[in-house]
Amino acid sequence: MTTQSDAATGVHPGPDAVAAAIGPADWSPHVQRAGNAFDALYAQLLPQIEPMIAQYEQKRSALIPLAHLFQEHEGYVSADALAVIAHLVGETPATVESTISFYTLLFRRPVGKYMIQICRNLSCMLNGAEEIMAYAREQIGVQHHETTADGLMSYEEVECLAACDRAPCAQVNLEFVYDLTRESVDAMLAAIRAGSYAIAPLPQTVRPGRSWKVAQDTGLKSAGALGVSNPNNAGGVGDASGLVMFDLIVGRPQYETRSNERLVHETALRPELAEADH
Amino acid sequence: MPELITPILTKGIGELNLRDLAVYAAQGGYEQLRRAIAELSPKAVSDICNGSNLRGRGGAGFPTGRKWSFLPNNGHPRYLVCNCDEAEPGTFKDHMLLEQTPHQIIEGMLIGAYAIGCTHAYIYIRGEFKRGYEIMRDAVRQARDAGFIGEKLFGTDTNLELTIHRGAGAYICGEETGLLNSLEGKRGEPRLKPPFPAVKGLYGEPTVVNNVETLAYLPYIMRNGSEWFAKVGPERSPGYKVVSISGHVVKPGNYEVALGITIRQLIYDCAGGLRPGRTFMGVQPGGGSSACLFEEHLDVSYDFDSVTKAGSMLGSGAMVVFDDTTDFVKASYALIRFFSHESCGQCTPCREGGHWLQRTLERILDGRGVDSDVDVIKSAAHQLTGLNLCALGDSIEPFLASVITRYEDQFRAYIKRPAQRVAV
Repeated sequence: MTTQSDAATGVHPGPDAVAAAIGPADWSPHVQRAGNAFDALYAQLLPQIEPMIAQYEQKRSALIPLAHLFQEHEGYVSADALAVIAHLVGETPATVESTISFYTLLFRRPVGKYMIQICRNLSCMLNGAEEIMAYAREQIGVQHHETTADGLMSYEEVECLAACDRAPCAQVNLEFVYDLTRESVDAMLAAIRAGSYAIAPLPQTVRPGRSWKVAQDTGLKSAGALGVSNPNNAGGVGDASGLVMFDLIVGRPQYETRSNERLVHETALRPELAEADH
Repeated sequence: MPELITPILTKGIGELNLRDLAVYAAQGGYEQLRRAIAELSPKAVSDICNGSNLRGRGGAGFPTGRKWSFLPNNGHPRYLVCNCDEAEPGTFKDHMLLEQTPHQIIEGMLIGAYAIGCTHAYIYIRGEFKRGYEIMRDAVRQARDAGFIGEKLFGTDTNLELTIHRGAGAYICGEETGLLNSLEGKRGEPRLKPPFPAVKGLYGEPTVVNNVETLAYLPYIMRNGSEWFAKVGPERSPGYKVVSISGHVVKPGNYEVALGITIRQLIYDCAGGLRPGRTFMGVQPGGGSSACLFEEHLDVSYDFDSVTKAGSMLGSGAMVVFDDTTDFVKASYALIRFFSHESCGQCTPCREGGHWLQRTLERILDGRGVDSDVDVIKSAAHQLTGLNLCALGDSIEPFLASVITRYEDQFRAYIKRPAQRVAV
């Protein structure tokens, strides 16, 4: 009995069966937490997981619903969850990670117990969202895509939430909050801090870091334009600023791997590498 | 003028608890589903839809009956997917319909599925609509218990299955092939077309993707006959439409009207006009992707063809109204940042174009703009259209191009300003 044949026949073994057959390390290769906390969660969720997969005609369709399910219980899609999802839908963990990293609502790192997402799009902006966002940032004490030091709140500015008639609007843990004013922001934050807010907190299994964004939304989409602010002088062929770009590339360590010069450089620094070559 | 507003889909919202199957059934709900399955052939149902000239309410305005007719007769299973991934800036009609009248959507989906010979329909709900998803889940459970979903419906051999799928936050999944990829558990990246979804869609089989509002009209068209719908409004784009009006108006909200109403009537008679003492500067007639229309367009008839002729598009039917307090540089920036953020990154013009337009506008707003920036924006904007796999790349440019031509002085004013940091 191997995971391969299980995946092929569409049978999802219980955690005990998996552990007995292949050992837990095989299906959760990135065990982060001590003990069997995740195995217990998996066993608890298994009755929900099976019908979730069965409602689709292909297993892979259940990938996002499964990620939602684990996130609802762990607060984010942990490495364990990722590995289990991969096993359940019959894909590699890399494929699952590639897929869930496409979606902004699936967190790959722990977030605050209250995820506060204020809309920054057009209709909200016309109705004063900029002022509300500045006020909220100040009152929460963090910037866009950051979590407070106590792990209570995460703050994000998001795109249109489809509630433009009640602008400016926000979502707290995906529940809508309408008609934001300074007073309602104050009241909301006070209630969250006092633990009496009407919207339930997210579960939190791991203490969150400063931000949950992996490499997203840095404003740097194209590597070739790092640090260049002028689209007219982006450093193309025949552009005098190409020299500026060249200096930038040479000056940045992440590009050094692309050049043979690095080898020369490295062997000079670390003679043992040069010896190993011969 | 309340007679302008004709509640059909929106009837009973705010008065009745239409989430309850019993209440919905008391309004005549599911009667048309029973009639379709028990009395009519799939061909007869799709003929009724075809006769009504119903055009898609999601954005493209494609005739629904024609879309169905593209399905090949090759004996393969077929799928109907209801698109409830509403994320177009300014649109909030599907959000309301989903939370208030889920049974109407289910009935429309089941009628549509029966008409095209599909046995398994899917509804893709935007990830942010967690509450709407829960409401829909309960409604589907009620409908299943009442025998409207399942096997051997109404004593016939018809089987209909319905699955609710919740997305996870990506505007691009509103594009039909992006949606299908997402529903298959992949990244929501649009596919190369052709083959169109009608030939190779969900799981590689023939598929129809229809908007929530389009499908929700089906029970009413069945009940009142195709003539009832086809006779309303202009001949080529008839019927009713839920229009989401927001921005600088006194009473923002969803207004269900007959197409062919003027933009002026929508803004001033339905949404209560502008705030006192303000003057009109422009309106986006069809969501964030549409070009801005101005004072001279106020009397344009609000239907698919007339709005297109005026140089914009009806899109999803979302109007965002601007008065004289609007900073069009910031407004453009909000939309460009949105498209840049939501670009899936497959096509270079969209990925890079949106990104650079955002950076250029950021620089202008920062007070670091140079004179040539305005010309660069004008020229760059026109180089995005028609070069991408899907319509997102084509949606970046229209609003910016229309307002930078009209209100160039606002952009130029920023460029003369001393450095000033704008919160982004």
